[in-house]
Amino acid sequence: MPYNELLKNFSKIRDYMRDFYIYGFRTRSDFGGKIKSARSYDNERRRVESWLGGVMSFRREAAGKSVFLSVDNRTVPHNPLYRAFRTKSFTDNDIMLHFYILDILSDGEALSFRKIADRIAGEYLSYFDAAEPPDDSTVRNKLKEYIALGLLKMERKGREMLYSINQEKWSPKAWQDALAFASEAMPLGVVGSFLLDRYEKNPEYFSFKHHYLFGALDAEILEELMLCRRGRRRAEITFRARRSEKDMQAEVFPLRIYVSTRTGRENLLAYNYQIRRPGMYRLDHIRKVKALDSEPDYERLERAGRSFAEYLWGTSSGPEGSRETEHVEMTLYVGKEERFIVDRLEREKRNGTVSRLDETTYLYQTDVYDAQEMLPWIRTFTGRIIRLECSNDSVVRRFYDDYAQMQQMYETEAADI
Amino acid sequence: MVFHEIYGTYYQTVSDILKEAVQGEITAEKIRRIIRDRAFEESSITIPQALTDQWHILTSDGRTPIRHVPRLPLTDLQKMWMKALLLDPRIRLFDPPQDELEDVDPLFEPDFFFCYDRYSDGDPFEEEEYIEHFRLVLLALREKRKMEIVFRGKQGRHRQVYIPDRLEYSSKDDKFRLAAHTEGHVPYMINLARIRQIALLEEVKPDEAEAPPEKKDMVIMELTDERNSLERAMLHFSDLEKETVKLDDLHYRITLSYRREDETELLIRILSFGPTIKVTAPDSFIRLIRQRLNKQKSYGLK
Repeated sequence: MPYNELLKNFSKIRDYMRDFYIYGFRTRSDFGGKIKSARSYDNERRRVESWLGGVMSFRREAAGKSVFLSVDNRTVPHNPLYRAFRTKSFTDNDIMLHFYILDILSDGEALSFRKIADRIAGEYLSYFDAAEPPDDSTVRNKLKEYIALGLLKMERKGREMLYSINQEKWSPKAWQDALAFASEAMPLGVVGSFLLDRYEKNPEYFSFKHHYLFGALDAEILEELMLCRRGRRRAEITFRARRSEKDMQAEVFPLRIYVSTRTGRENLLAYNYQIRRPGMYRLDHIRKVKALDSEPDYERLERAGRSFAEYLWGTSSGPEGSRETEHVEMTLYVGKEERFIVDRLEREKRNGTVSRLDETTYLYQTDVYDAQEMLPWIRTFTGRIIRLECSNDSVVRRFYDDYAQMQQMYETEAADI
Repeated sequence: MVFHEIYGTYYQTVSDILKEAVQGEITAEKIRRIIRDRAFEESSITIPQALTDQWHILTSDGRTPIRHVPRLPLTDLQKMWMKALLLDPRIRLFDPPQDELEDVDPLFEPDFFFCYDRYSDGDPFEEEEYIEHFRLVLLALREKRKMEIVFRGKQGRHRQVYIPDRLEYSSKDDKFRLAAHTEGHVPYMINLARIRQIALLEEVKPDEAEAPPEKKDMVIMELTDERNSLERAMLHFSDLEKETVKLDDLHYRITLSYRREDETELLIRILSFGPTIKVTAPDSFIRLIRQRLNKQKSYGLK
């Protein structure tokens, strides 16, 4: 196949983009089994370079050229990865019919299929000597597709069906700032970026801290899940578990999207019909979503989801099948001028309670499914942890073992600094 | 359907070319310029010829059967997404028209998304005073005007004239901050929730407008890929400018660039990785880690 800047399926490029963006140290040889041939890697890299020219960097290494995206996300008012969603391939008839049909209907008139097709063949294509008019079914399919997208509407008049533009009154100027903000800060922001394409110039005065760009690559999956949720429909998801090469399928009811503001990672909380309980699925591991029939008993499933979520710290529910919780107690030293530590506890805790034991000692305690998941957060209090207790001994052991290892790591060179 | 050619760069580029053709004269040079400004690096090889020979939209002498400047109506997806925005108090700060999109159902309800590790002391987006201040800040940015702001900072109350640079939102903190500088070019970050009073002043003069350069530092660290720490670190630090080099199958060197004001935050972010990340430079950063470890030592190793 000759090289083309455009793509038929987004899923083909999704993994490459993620690797370029997140890892950035991989060369062609690191992609190993993921690619069919050296040429397909080169083509994917060439595509991504063509779309993201300005934000990509390269480094020559012994193993080859490594490509990476490196940006300070605070300086990026528009997510560069959105550009990848503007690369869908199309046929010659697709683009021709797009501009012709919208032009024919742009006066606001409602026309029959026959009139539209005849005008295309007679009025429009007569400009071109060698142009063959598309057959009726191609025109009909395009009209049908544009009705489904919401661009056109169809009304019956007598025995005829008439097509017209589906005009919606909106005030672009009054929306512009909201769209510029929402395209970066709200779910499925790529839709906002499409809307911003309608403006000559867009505001550059917004910036975003703790801004994770790569979630944009899961937009197709997220859109399907939103639509299932909106229609209270079940979904069949195809996903790949970590370190697995095999696709798995599950029939689920989407309940909620769990978003991490510290890593940008997104997880689907969904009721799984096979195992008859809720479970978490990483969005970047979901490869396909197929909408199924509607779920009449969705309120019961939502209740199950809410009760499941009560003891989550992050997204892990501990050992498979278990709903046992683990009790954690962390006692901290808080100096007299260090009220900000108590504020940190209060605003960062996701469940549990904070209590003052004496003037300089505070206790945080909670019950969660998987206390191991709390360790990264607990470590951020290193330097003031007086006591750490957990009903799961291995959590406390891990904390103190890690701490001892860090002491050793940094002590060995203490004399140098 | 979020991946659809109607949103694509090729369609937009052709739309711009047709706009020129409908409104006046289109030349090969104009076509090249539009493609260069709008499309991808290699699009200039494909588009000019396809316009005539394949797509039958523009004749070789620049004529087109299209009579109107192309306009794309809103798609259902766009309408539903915008309608969903109206349910969010942060979006309402921007005062988008609430009476539009009347017959549209939102694409999602706000509670379909849950930021489980977001700080719970976010800004009061629905308080009247906050909304008023937010809109004045936005107006000042839009119209490039100075502001006199009274705010409560760490060192007490400030009253000063500021030149606004940008409005920054953190999803983790759920807060807006105004990045601004004084007439003497001193940079400030002002939490919108701490603002007590704002008065809009005259337009910013061109020589005052430029924001002072940010002070950035670097930290270099070595990561050992245990317990999936490589993937976790790559995601966790992907908001920062970074470069990763593979040293061997287990070890990686990561260089991060960060703003000086974020040093404590970065320190605790690195600490959260435990022994899988070791900072190797600069010495000043290593000292900060060592201080925390030594303080912890006084509470015993259990």
